[in-house]
Amino acid sequence: MMATGGLIKVRELKIDIPKEAKNLADKMLRDLENSKRPYLEAVKTSLDNSFYNSKVGYLTAGDKRVRTELNVSSVQKLARVVFMLEILLRNLDIGAVNTKRELYYICKGLIKGEKKYKPLDFEDQNESDSIIDFIGDMMQIYREELNCFANDRGGQTYSNQLIVDETLPDGTKATIDLSSLGTSPFMPKNKPQSLKLRARKKIDFALIVESEGTANTLHTMGFTKRNNCILIGAQGVPSNGVRGWCKLIQDELEVPMYFFGDLDAYTLQNIFRTLKAGSAASLIRNADFSAPEVKFLGVLPEDVKKYDLFCYNVKESDPAEARALKKAKDALDNDPFFTDRKNKGLSDILRWLMKEKIRCEQQSFFSVDPKDPIKTEKIILEKIKNRSYV
Amino acid sequence: MSKITKSSTAEYFAKNLQQVGFSSPLKAVLTTLKEAVDNSLDACENEGILPEVSIEIAKVGTGSTKNTDLIKIVVEDNGPGIESDDLAKVFGEYLASSKFGKGQCSRGQQGIGISAATTWAQMTNARGVIVTSKTKNMRKAVKAQVDVDIKTNSGLIKNKETFEWTKTNGTKVEFVMDGRVQLNGDGGLLTYIEGTVLVNPHLTLKHKLLDGDWITVERVSSEVPQVPEATLPHPHTFKLGEFITHSTLFGKMTLSKFLKTAFSRISDQSINDFIAKGLPKNLLEKAVSSLSEEDFKKVFSSIQNTELMAPSTKSVLTVGEDALSKSILRLGKVDFFSVVTRKPQICDFKPVVVEVALARFEDRGGESDTPVQLLRFANRVPLQFDKSGCAITGAIESVNWKSYGLHQPKDSLPLGPYVFAVSVVSPFIKFKNASKETIDASEELVDEIRKAAQQAGQKLSRHIKKEFKEADLERKLAHIEQFGPILVEKLAQITGAPESRRKKAEEGLRKILGRDSQDAMAELEVAETKLNAQKQKEAKRSGIALDGETEGLQFSEEDFASESETTSTQATTTTATKVVAEDKSTTKATTTGISTTTGTTATTVATTTTKTTAKG
Repeated sequence: MMATGGLIKVRELKIDIPKEAKNLADKMLRDLENSKRPYLEAVKTSLDNSFYNSKVGYLTAGDKRVRTELNVSSVQKLARVVFMLEILLRNLDIGAVNTKRELYYICKGLIKGEKKYKPLDFEDQNESDSIIDFIGDMMQIYREELNCFANDRGGQTYSNQLIVDETLPDGTKATIDLSSLGTSPFMPKNKPQSLKLRARKKIDFALIVESEGTANTLHTMGFTKRNNCILIGAQGVPSNGVRGWCKLIQDELEVPMYFFGDLDAYTLQNIFRTLKAGSAASLIRNADFSAPEVKFLGVLPEDVKKYDLFCYNVKESDPAEARALKKAKDALDNDPFFTDRKNKGLSDILRWLMKEKIRCEQQSFFSVDPKDPIKTEKIILEKIKNRSYV
Repeated sequence: MSKITKSSTAEYFAKNLQQVGFSSPLKAVLTTLKEAVDNSLDACENEGILPEVSIEIAKVGTGSTKNTDLIKIVVEDNGPGIESDDLAKVFGEYLASSKFGKGQCSRGQQGIGISAATTWAQMTNARGVIVTSKTKNMRKAVKAQVDVDIKTNSGLIKNKETFEWTKTNGTKVEFVMDGRVQLNGDGGLLTYIEGTVLVNPHLTLKHKLLDGDWITVERVSSEVPQVPEATLPHPHTFKLGEFITHSTLFGKMTLSKFLKTAFSRISDQSINDFIAKGLPKNLLEKAVSSLSEEDFKKVFSSIQNTELMAPSTKSVLTVGEDALSKSILRLGKVDFFSVVTRKPQICDFKPVVVEVALARFEDRGGESDTPVQLLRFANRVPLQFDKSGCAITGAIESVNWKSYGLHQPKDSLPLGPYVFAVSVVSPFIKFKNASKETIDASEELVDEIRKAAQQAGQKLSRHIKKEFKEADLERKLAHIEQFGPILVEKLAQITGAPESRRKKAEEGLRKILGRDSQDAMAELEVAETKLNAQKQKEAKRSGIALDGETEGLQFSEEDFASESETTSTQATTTTATKVVAEDKSTTKATTTGISTTTGTTATTVATTTTKTTAKG
């Protein structure tokens, strides 16, 4: 049965999406009637339109706009935008939800059924995804507000103290006591708006581990039993689900949050920066999808020295690694997050990485005392105690 | 001390047939064919005969060696024929040649190839070659089997007979040998035939390959190429040692007379130039036999430091841009092409002429993501193996074809359904091996080939650019047709607008997009004008009359009747000589709601660009 109107809002939205969309379409139609070129404008989601203020804590958008004016080259894109918009508006109207992939197939189905739509056909999902993203950027709304949800990966959460109350689309409630899940994790998915958090006992900290595997190891070896904490596996670059979930933990529980991952340029720029301050590609959603309070626990350059950690040399002959180094240099020059004085500690690490040309993986802590299965836990706790983080 | 034995030349080659093109069953067939055809063409050219060659290749059984077939190769020509007494020498003896060391641009050079083919047939099928020959002086034709006597390097005649032949003169050779037949691809027989056809516009070729039908490719030129006489050597082709040795042939002749009579391109003026470059004046009247080595060094260096006229163009032979242009049309339906014949240059002290023909064929497979087909020629003989080591391949790969509108992966051949033919002609081509499969890549030669390829590329790019603009226009027109109505329809749906608004919006859309199309058409027109200017220039230079220019290609009246109304410059394309550029941007823009309203720009645009054909 369809859940009509039961979806819980991501945020208090100031605009009425169907009404706004109709106005937009009406303006375009009017322009056409007057032989004027209609255009669509969206926030420019790129680094050169990103601003960072440490007090705000996440990347925000500047004034730059991407303008798509009707001409023979753009007529395809505009036709696709209004075609997709109509589908999304219908979904909103009847309360249906879809993933991006499902929308891709819905489009294909509609195109197949009507010969005249054939030219619109999407060759692969990337093409339809970019149209959905454009609509979001254009109306400055999240795609979840268009009832488009992604199957977000990562965010596996373990805790003996955390209790989650979920409001389901039909209004009923569900309570998940994470301590009762054994070695299985709780997966938040991208629905932070429908979750309420409670702590059985005061929670001392939350630890986000880059590798979901390592997070699982820590949990299995009793990390969450011995510590009043929340343990989360990020599984690489944090998805919207992970980002929204961390933001929720930060806001509702107000516990110190630490990120534990590899010591390399990629982790700092793509994983940690995105978790802490969002990304340039998601400028319009960083406010609700970043956790500015999270600290970089390591691996830190000082850990490499202190624990004599095993490192890899970064080979400039390797195209991928050479690219990562170049990106790191670009970030130091142009990324407002890294150029901000408040984040000097992090940019210093980037500089150190570029100078030393090494990288150190989070799992290298397991080499410190190979016979002690919980040595990594001990180091992490010691680092938290000694405030050895950035 | 071990005993020193002497073996005959034939013994050496019989043991080392791989060195002369018989390294695999596949190559054996191709090399045999090649040697036979080369001999036919060379013989015809020497006697001023327009060659008519027929080739028949058939599988007649299973080969005696593993994984081979028994292949029959028959090549017949209308050449001068071979005297009965010479048959043994020509087909059964190594290094017996009329061309050896002559300094001419003949196809064959040493007199190895056809004897090697005889040897291969003999070794694999226990029977040499069967030759039929008749010269004008002979009353009857002679037919005989020629074997190679390996021990003595001489030919053995067997089963000789005479008979009445319908031909006044000619030669027919028949080899039956172990081999394998491949038709297409780099080492394919068809590729060989196409190449031979391309660089021999004066050749009429009939061929029947395996189970196929007889195919005749008529000649497009009735001029027998004048194989240039071996001219006097150009002084810049000499090294010091050669120079001194050369002088000994002239005894007591004075230096000044020696320079003027023993070399080409040295005049009184050049001698003055040599003096300016350091030739001691007092040596000029001395006898060359009395000059010291020191004197020779001075003379030689002053000559090398003086600019002289390029070696005579007569010492090298070119196919020529015009003949190439005609010949290329014999390979299939050509979209467009460009040809370049460079002026003779000295590369590695030898006169060289490079010719390049680039063509795109309509009916040729060749996906857009496969490399172009590269045909290489040395002295008008196709080179089909070991492509990667060849100077020609290296030169083509080093050109940046992207700037001429072709796709090209780094350091590779460009991509697309094109044929690139590169011909290098020189009396002394430096091959990497005796089987003459690859030209040695010297820096100077590669550079010369590059220049030729770049010139041809520039010409080609005009065609590609025009085509690109045509495609662009077509795409834009298609976009209007396809997406315009959807855009309006969906906007009307979202807003719930009435039919009247929808109609008005469609009209507005048409106006907007019509303007854009006009811009695209203007760009196309510019590209066409440039292309036509090039074609006219070419036509003017080569001075070719229009009539008869496109032999082998038929145009219907309609091709011309439907010329574009708007692109008036196209009318001038009929004066272009060599280019067959068929505009495929036939636009069907009259079916949708967008383009049916009369009087709007979009309609005009959509109906005007139709099929145009520029006749070469």
